[in-house]
Amino acid sequence: MASGDHDLHMLAGAYALDAVADDERARFTEHLAGCALCRAEVGEFREAAARLGTAQAVRPRPELRDPVIRSALNTGQAGPVIAERQGSPTASRRRRVPVLLTAAAAAVAAAIGIGTHYADVADQRSATRARTVATVLSAPDAVLRMAHVRSGGMAVVVTSRREHMAVFFANGLRSLPGAKRYELWLMGPNGERPAGMLAVHRKDMAGPALITGMSAGDMVGLTVEPASGSLRPTSAPVVLVRQGRP
Amino acid sequence: MSQGRWRDRAGDDAVARPVHRAAPALNDLLTAVARGDERAYDAVYDLTSGWVLGIARKVLRDPALAEEVMQEVMLEVWRLASRFDPARGSGTSWVMTLAHRRAVDLVRSERSHAVRELRAATAVIDYDDVTEAVEASLEAERVQRCLSSLTSLQRECVSLAYYGGYTYAEVAELLGVPSGTVKTRMRDGLIKLRDCLGVP
Repeated sequence: MASGDHDLHMLAGAYALDAVADDERARFTEHLAGCALCRAEVGEFREAAARLGTAQAVRPRPELRDPVIRSALNTGQAGPVIAERQGSPTASRRRRVPVLLTAAAAAVAAAIGIGTHYADVADQRSATRARTVATVLSAPDAVLRMAHVRSGGMAVVVTSRREHMAVFFANGLRSLPGAKRYELWLMGPNGERPAGMLAVHRKDMAGPALITGMSAGDMVGLTVEPASGSLRPTSAPVVLVRQGRP
Repeated sequence: MSQGRWRDRAGDDAVARPVHRAAPALNDLLTAVARGDERAYDAVYDLTSGWVLGIARKVLRDPALAEEVMQEVMLEVWRLASRFDPARGSGTSWVMTLAHRRAVDLVRSERSHAVRELRAATAVIDYDDVTEAVEASLEAERVQRCLSSLTSLQRECVSLAYYGGYTYAEVAELLGVPSGTVKTRMRDGLIKLRDCLGVP
């Protein structure tokens, strides 16, 4: 056991340089949760490594600045994860699930209790939806991908494989004639499935649109469809965003 | 518009500003970004996007891909700002960890496709080159000086890992050295770098 710990401790340098394989990374991250000395050492090594990085600075093309900042401000933010402070992602997951279950149960109970009061049910639905969006944005495995839309604008997709969900944002989208709307699709090994109409609001901003039932290899596509929506895409996607690595 | 603001700034050497002087400001800025402060985010972009693009280019060796990574990392900085905890490390280290991880993940998934051998060969030849696009700065000089204070094996281990995106096992294979040795050289090298750079 002691020699195993020593071996793990020697990994601090490689870990801080991201020079470990995924399984070792997971094991060492777990080890960090219970080793204050290792956390301190990794912290210092990361500071040193960061300086190796900043020494390579190059000035980005100025024309990237505006679209990136606009996209960021249109993208939701993850909430703070208190349980993650000490490392172990499984611990944070365990702690979060009951909260979500309670929230879902409360929403269901409220909906049943209120019965036919339509507006309240709709409120509950949108509140649940907002919570679900927040869950995806805050998921420990969430990965963000960005892509330029062919007809103009930028799309941002945050995917959580664990939750089988994604959240779609866009800005700078070309406005469409009244008879047309943007529609989202899941496109992958399981074929093309409609993933909801995209509401464009606040000038040319769109989202968050929640996309559920995502499976491995699915890409998120956006097409221009008749305003009533289509069951299959009738035009080529203006943007296709692949999932990031977890 | 902000385009004009960029031009205002173009004269001063924002990208090459010494990191240690920018550090406290960045910590405060990131804390403000976590609360959704849009102006703070503008400043974070101006301060860090050049660092992020630089390391992405170094690791990926593909300017177009590096630009894509820079944009995604900057969006992640906005999304994940609430995860930044100044008690656990500097904002510089937090941003660079995000950037390096993303670049390394990408270069590894690329390498796992057909180009593995070719990339490996290239990396051995020029792992320690000075990137053509690096902006001359005191900081870059200082880092070079500290790197050259390492033994050549320590330097190769650290450079191949950080700039090349290789795992310690791959570095061991490239250098024909046992992987245990590579692990310890990486750690020893970082201890020297940490002390030489005066990491707080």
